[in-house]
Amino acid sequence: MNTIFGGRVRVLDLSMGWAGPLAGQMFTEMGAEVIKVEDTHHFDWWRGSLSMAPPEMQPIERAAVFNTANRGKRGVTLDLASARGIEILKRLVKISDILVENFSPGVMDRLGLGYDSVSAINPRLIMISMPSFGGDGPECNARGYGNTVEAMAGVTGLTGYHDGAGQHYTLSNALGDPVAGLHAVFALMVALREREDTGRGQFIELAQVESLIPFVGGAILEYQFTGMVPRPRGNRHREHAPHGIYRCAGDDNWIALACETDDQWRSLAAALGMARLAEDRRFEDASARKANEDALDAELSSALAPLNADDCAARLRDAGVLAAPVNSAAAVMADPQIQSREYFVAIERAVVGTHLYPGAVARIPDTPLRADAPAPLLGEHNRQVLAETLGMTDEEIAELERSGVIGSSPRQYRAA
Amino acid sequence: MRYRALSDVRVVDLTHFIAGPYATKLLADMGADVVKVEPPWGEGGRMLGPHRADREDRGGLFAFLNLNKRGVTLNLKHARGRELIAGLLDGADLLLENFAPGTLAALGLAPGELMAKFPRLSVVSISNFGQDGPERDGKLNDLVLFARGGWTFPVGERDREPLTPPGSLAQYVSALYGAVGAMQALAARGLGRGHGQHIDISILEATVATMIYETVTFQYTGIQRSREGKRFAVGPFLIVTLKCKDGYAGLHCVTDKQFKGLCDLMGRRELASDPRFNTALNRMLNNNALLEIVEEFFIGRERKWLYCEGQRRAIPLVPIPSAAEVLEWEQTRARNYFETIDDPVLGTIRVPGTPLRLTSHRAQASRPAPQLGEHNREIFGGRLGLSNSAIDALMKAGAI
Repeated sequence: MNTIFGGRVRVLDLSMGWAGPLAGQMFTEMGAEVIKVEDTHHFDWWRGSLSMAPPEMQPIERAAVFNTANRGKRGVTLDLASARGIEILKRLVKISDILVENFSPGVMDRLGLGYDSVSAINPRLIMISMPSFGGDGPECNARGYGNTVEAMAGVTGLTGYHDGAGQHYTLSNALGDPVAGLHAVFALMVALREREDTGRGQFIELAQVESLIPFVGGAILEYQFTGMVPRPRGNRHREHAPHGIYRCAGDDNWIALACETDDQWRSLAAALGMARLAEDRRFEDASARKANEDALDAELSSALAPLNADDCAARLRDAGVLAAPVNSAAAVMADPQIQSREYFVAIERAVVGTHLYPGAVARIPDTPLRADAPAPLLGEHNRQVLAETLGMTDEEIAELERSGVIGSSPRQYRAA
Repeated sequence: MRYRALSDVRVVDLTHFIAGPYATKLLADMGADVVKVEPPWGEGGRMLGPHRADREDRGGLFAFLNLNKRGVTLNLKHARGRELIAGLLDGADLLLENFAPGTLAALGLAPGELMAKFPRLSVVSISNFGQDGPERDGKLNDLVLFARGGWTFPVGERDREPLTPPGSLAQYVSALYGAVGAMQALAARGLGRGHGQHIDISILEATVATMIYETVTFQYTGIQRSREGKRFAVGPFLIVTLKCKDGYAGLHCVTDKQFKGLCDLMGRRELASDPRFNTALNRMLNNNALLEIVEEFFIGRERKWLYCEGQRRAIPLVPIPSAAEVLEWEQTRARNYFETIDDPVLGTIRVPGTPLRLTSHRAQASRPAPQLGEHNREIFGGRLGLSNSAIDALMKAGAI
């Protein structure tokens, strides 16, 4: 298979959670060799908690999110509290192109792996650090994860019902994480290209919160222009109506629909067999519908309540109205457009079996992205990486295992 | 801010509105030479809000999304306009576009033909549903995209309608996939593993890509997450948006260590060993009881106190800022994150800076977004070698 990198780029991935690991995973899609290093004492927290199930169930190998974000990587464990663990890591630094980390600021320095140290070992190395709020500044040591980053970027403050008495909501996908990860991939691609000219690597800092703030740039400008703090609009729109989510037949089935023109409004009324609405003076044009939006929503709510959401959305789309069912996970995966492009890929992985995972987004014909390899078990590739990549002998590796520098059993680390 | 890492990369930018322009902004911020090509009446994104009271002609978002680009106007339906676009594409590395699928081909600019004619060129297309499939020509807006892509279903109160995420967040996610795709095309060409390629980004797929909590976890557990109100979900954690004395705070309590910190913060250390909460599993089973205790504590405290005292105990606990507070946040100020732009129409505006901080060289100040056709003479004269009178004639003919 002709991939972009064809194994010619090596990524050392020390990151945990989602933001950093997503960056590593997207490099596996491009055919880079990605070595994920987990500390024997602190395995990636996204594997979940050992206390969730008895040890024989291997709970930390059953985390869907970990198993998605680390696909295609080679998994290595190293005791980063030991001098020998650090020494092995430095040998990997020497032969890598990229180092990804998202520890709290200062941790890499304490490990002796600050950029000055790693670039002295390997001047071609590109290192990216992904602190939540930045590597400097008065609040650089504050902890943040996907949802807290989302809050500090201003997203949560804009998320709420239009009549919601101030309650804010966190989004469903820990948005700060994938957004930071995507920016990291972009930054690393830029730095790799720059290295072709300069022959040198560089240090890149990506504060996760700073990567999400641009997404609410509109609200930040609105405040500057109006002097008013933008409030959540819920499912409503500044100008258009109807623009909302309405209950349909069934247990928890909903339809999202919007009309952005008077024509769409008339089409909607016709498609629902409600000519009466199209003639109603209260709804005759956009400003009238906006002014009478509560009444409009009440009319639509009663009209839509007995209908099947999927059928109704299809009918409205055919009529030129913006509409979709509010899809649950299962419905997303069954979406005809998603299915027809074979977006999800089946992957078999040890312990958990075969599941569908989201595929690579970009379709690149001559050098297709590959997202179809499983995530590693804890320490799964210790031997392979130490022997094949670093040229260690079986005896050396066995000795490292005995002394706990590497290992593949989390319980062992707890005792250590 | 503008770096020069991609200063040898030439981009022809036919994008409009948000998903395309943010993709080319990412390239422009890294120093790529981005020529934004608009119809003589301007792209639709120029009119997007927010607006300054007396300046309806230039939307604020446009002024932000098009920093560091140069702008020309071209009527692609005009024969001379198509000649000029060919001139711009000659020697270009990338063409980015987010028209409806088939639009370029209808204009005589089919990506395959362009790449055959210009072997350096790759084309990145960002579209609602991708370049094929039964609904490739369908329409979307943010509300419908979030709903269809799965973001909306798990958000909001259980006894109310699901709540849509705000703004155009998923369009920006798609833009990132577009910018990464552009770099992937350049990398493949640079390594000799691909010539020009047509890269296809579906906004719907980019939206679904971030839903791994739903799509994959659902298969593993068989449990479909439903709306849990202020909670992210019910699990062995407490990720929740809590009312406090002067607003709302966001708490992310996942690990045993964070939970112990939270108990300490509340002056309730005994809870850490309470059999209802002493393990992750028990915190999942007794999540409601735990939430009640935490809610009662938060409601009597101020955001700032919670932030300081929580973070002192290494708990990811933050105040929930408004957009105004984000702009004035001390941390962004100390890091000079927001950039002040002297926009020719809107005056002084403060915009989010580039999140990528390269250290290979120093960044320069951003160039304001172009006015309509601002660089016609510079580009058509300088790059394509047209005389002033030839440019005047094109303007008169409505080609530019």
